[in-house]
Formats: sequence, C-alpha cells, structure tokens
Amino acid sequence: MRVHVVEDDAGVSDSLALILRNIGHTVISYPDAESLFRAPLPQARDAVIVDLSLPGISGAHLVRWLLNLAAPPRVVVITGQSQGFIDHQLRGLVPTGLVRKPLDVDAITRVLPAEDAAGSPA
Amino acid sequence: MRDFAPSPDAPASPAPHPPTVSEARLLSVLDTAADGIIVIDEHARILIFNKACERMFGVPAAEVVGKNVKLVMPTEYAREHDAYVGSYIRTGVKKIIGIGREVQGRHADGTVFPLELSVGEAATPDGRQFIGILRDLRPRKESEQRLADLQGELVHLARVSAIDEMGAAIAHELNQPLTALMLYLQAIRRAHSRGVDIVTVVGDILDKAAGEAERAGHIIQRMRQFVEKRDPERHVRALDPLIDEAIDLTLLGQRHRIRIDRQQGENLPPVSVDPVQVQQIVVNLVRNAIEAASGVADPAIQIRTRADDGGVVLEVQDNGPGIAPEALPKLFEAFASSKRRGMGLGLAISRTIAQNHGGDLVVEPGGKGRGACFSLILPAAAAVPDEVG
Ligand SMILES: Nc1ncnc2c1ncn2[C@@H]1O[C@H](COP(=O)(O)OP(=O)(O)OP(=O)(O)O)[C@@H](O)[C@H]1O
Ligand SMILES: [Mg+2]
Repeated sequence: MRVHVVEDDAGVSDSLALILRNIGHTVISYPDAESLFRAPLPQARDAVIVDLSLPGISGAHLVRWLLNLAAPPRVVVITGQSQGFIDHQLRGLVPTGLVRKPLDVDAITRVLPAEDAAGSPA
Repeated sequence: MRDFAPSPDAPASPAPHPPTVSEARLLSVLDTAADGIIVIDEHARILIFNKACERMFGVPAAEVVGKNVKLVMPTEYAREHDAYVGSYIRTGVKKIIGIGREVQGRHADGTVFPLELSVGEAATPDGRQFIGILRDLRPRKESEQRLADLQGELVHLARVSAIDEMGAAIAHELNQPLTALMLYLQAIRRAHSRGVDIVTVVGDILDKAAGEAERAGHIIQRMRQFVEKRDPERHVRALDPLIDEAIDLTLLGQRHRIRIDRQQGENLPPVSVDPVQVQQIVVNLVRNAIEAASGVADPAIQIRTRADDGGVVLEVQDNGPGIAPEALPKLFEAFASSKRRGMGLGLAISRTIAQNHGGDLVVEPGGKGRGACFSLILPAAAAVPDEVG
C-alpha cells in the first residue's frame, strides 16, 4: 500500500518511514499539510498518516479535508496529546484509525496491516 | 587582660565605688530600658551594664563592670575596637559615634549574634564617656529569614506549576523521541528475525536511535534543572545563552508554533545571577507573550537583549492586544490574572526575582494595535573575577 506520512518531527517521520517500508509499504513523507496539498492527491487505496499537531494548517483541518474527498483514502491520526486535546481537535471527525504516541509497530499494523511476505511482525 | 589604650595614668583596675543616690536612680531607670545600654570610659572599661545587657550577653553586671568592653565582642571585632577607640581619641575621626550600625556581639556561651549599635559621647568630670545602645537583631533577622524562605518556596512552587501546566505538552514532546526510538529498534528487530541483511544500515539506524534517546534525556534534564529546589545562587554569566535555553524550554511546552525574532546585543557585560531564577523570568515572560499573541493572525514575539547604562536589558515584545489600562495598576501583584487557568503569579514572582538581583521588571503596556513589551533590567556583574562562575 502507498502510505503518505504527514509529520513535522524529523525523528518520528524518519523512523515511521523506515518501519512502514519494513512491513512492505511505499512511503511518501511530508513535513506539513501544505506540502501534501502541493503533491498529487492521495488515492482511495492509499493511506494517510496525519500527526494532529502540525505547524501551519492543523492536523484536524487536513483530516477533515481528506475525509471529504470524493474518494477518500484511509486516514490514520497519530498524536501524543491528551484525550481532551484530541476530542477538541477532532470534534465529530471519524478517521479510519487513531494511534497515540509513543507508537510501536504492533499499533501500526493493527490499523495498516503489513504487506510483506511475513505478514504480521515476528 | 591588658586594656586597649595603655595610658600611664590609667589605674590598672578601678575600684568600683558605691553608687551615689542619683546614680542609683539612673541605674534603675537604665535597668527598665528594653535596649541594652553600656557606658564605657576612654579606656573602654565598662562603667554601666544594664539589665537588658545582662540578658543579652548572659553575664551579670557585677562581673563585667570595670573590665574592657571587648569582653562582649567576638575576637575580630575586639581587635578592631581597640584601633577604633584609639584612633578616635587621637584624631577625632568618627567611625560609629552618632551613626549607628550593625555589629556583632558575643554571648557568654560563645554565641555570636547581630546587634544594632548606636554610640553617643558625653564629656563628664571623670573624662570622656561613650554610651552604647544595643538592640538584639536576631528576632528581626529571623523574620527576614522566614520571609526569604517563604519567598523561595513560592518561587519554587510557581516553577512547579509552570511545569505542571506545560506538563501535558511536555509529555507530548517526550513522546516524539520515544516513538522514534521504539520504531528504529523494532525495524532492526524485524529485519533481524527475518534474516534480512541489514549490516549496511544497522549502524546508521542505531546512531539515529541513540540520538533520539539522547533527545529524550535532554528534555528531562532541562525540566529537572528548572524544577528542582535549590538555594539561591549567584554566578557570573553571560545572559544570552541563559535566555536561549529558557526559550527552548518554553517552546517545548507549546502546542502552537509562533514566530520568534531573537536579537542579541553586542558586547554585553556579564551579569551576576541565579541562572534558574532568571530563566524562570524568561519562561514567564515568553509564555505570557505567546498567550497574548495567540489570538492574532500572525503571532510573533521579539526577544532582544541590549546593554544599558551599567547593565543589561532583556525585552520581550509581542504583537498581541497589549495590556488593558484597568489591569495595569495591579499587573505585578500576585493573583492578578485574566486567564482561566492562570494563577497570576508569573509577573509578581518575576519582578521579585529581578529586584532581588538588584534589577527590575517594567512594562510598556502597548494597546491600540501594539503589543506589550516587558523589560528585565539586570545590573552588570561587578568587575571582580568570580571563581564560582
Ligand atoms: N504580554 C502580555 N500582553 C497582554 N497581557 C499580559 C501580558 N503579560 C501579562 N499580561 C496580563 O497580566 C496578567 C498577569 O500575568 P501573570 O504572568 O502574572 O499571570 P498569568 O499569566 O495570568 O498566570 P500565571 O501565574 O500562570 O503566569 C495576565 O493574566 C494578563 O492579563
Ligand atoms: Mg504568566
């Protein structure tokens, strides 16, 4: 599957790309929502991982925009913020998945199943 | 014991004559005084030692009258005292007479304690006499100390509360390196368990993982430095690096990005400060500025340092709404807050810290489209080299 990762933290973005490739996905990384808007539109069979706290255009805005596309991709929200903050940001939005940081590979494969030969992690 | 001013005609030990009636009345009046009163002659021999003095120094008058007043002084004062009285009698230059100052006394049990001493002089038929009025400063010192302790406690509490408020955001910040660390390690683990050849990349990934662990440690270290309770200190430091660290700490706890324009003055003199306390001021000012500017379209703050006569000034300027005229008079008072979650302690404590450093914290309130500008003024460190720095 092609996975778009919108995450401003360089360390998280890099390690996430590494593990996603590791489990068989193709990864395109963006440091903010603006750069995703400039790139070709995500397809319905793609997944987009969105960090809720983005500089500039907020993660919640991006999620709303993605879910409102004619053929929306899967949208997975990742965040290290409190539940209160998440509820407030997402008000009424229902993404495909929500994973709270710190992330691990199991949490990711639960919402984006592995596509490599081995299937699930060892 | 030798008297301080050996004079050939001074009797070695004056025989205390029985007091006359008027002397007796005077003595009884002196004994009712709350302050200690000591009268000495030109040779520093004690003539009168009232009841308050007996309590203060723990010796009966009978034991000290006729002896040198050095008896109730700690050794280093006693030495100087000889020189003072001697030089005054020779030259007439007053070091303490008619002035009054803080000195130290010595109790019979050896305790040295602070005293306020004022000295008057009287010419009598028996020669010159000096009248010392003494007040035990310990009760006052104790309450000053209590006040300082309380103030320290409050400063510490405010720091903890600032961290508490930033806590959720800091947890988020810690989550980032922890996430990256976990994913790097799991990537290696997976590749390894499936026999994938990772030899070429594993070193690189491990370096990145270590870097993330270090980043997490750094966040905790900075928080700990800021929160831990310590005695106030003074170090001679350059102000700018302290400010930069404090800005980093503040931004750690910030959800929304803000433009920060940082300008450093050139050739700033170093300051003598408690680094953590000064950083606390910076955190307070920058947090306030960020909160004030959060409502405008393009939030920005300017943080500048510059030299100003004999000191250094830090200015924190935001582009928020400024300070409402009605809020201005109480701005620096504790518990003056317009925020739902604010304690209203930030500015009160910041100003106290600034003033304890011999500086001040002032505000240009702005308004009508201009944001507030707070200036922290700190005196330059004295030119003496400081080894604790
Ligand atoms: N840069 C600023 N612009 C506008 N108003 C300000 C600014 N800084 C402070 N204020 C006003 O001064 C008040 C007192 O600030 P202070 O930092 O003492 O307390 P606080 O920020 O409300 O609470 P806390 O104890 O959490 O710092 C604030 O509530 C706010 O109304
Ligand atoms: Mg404040």
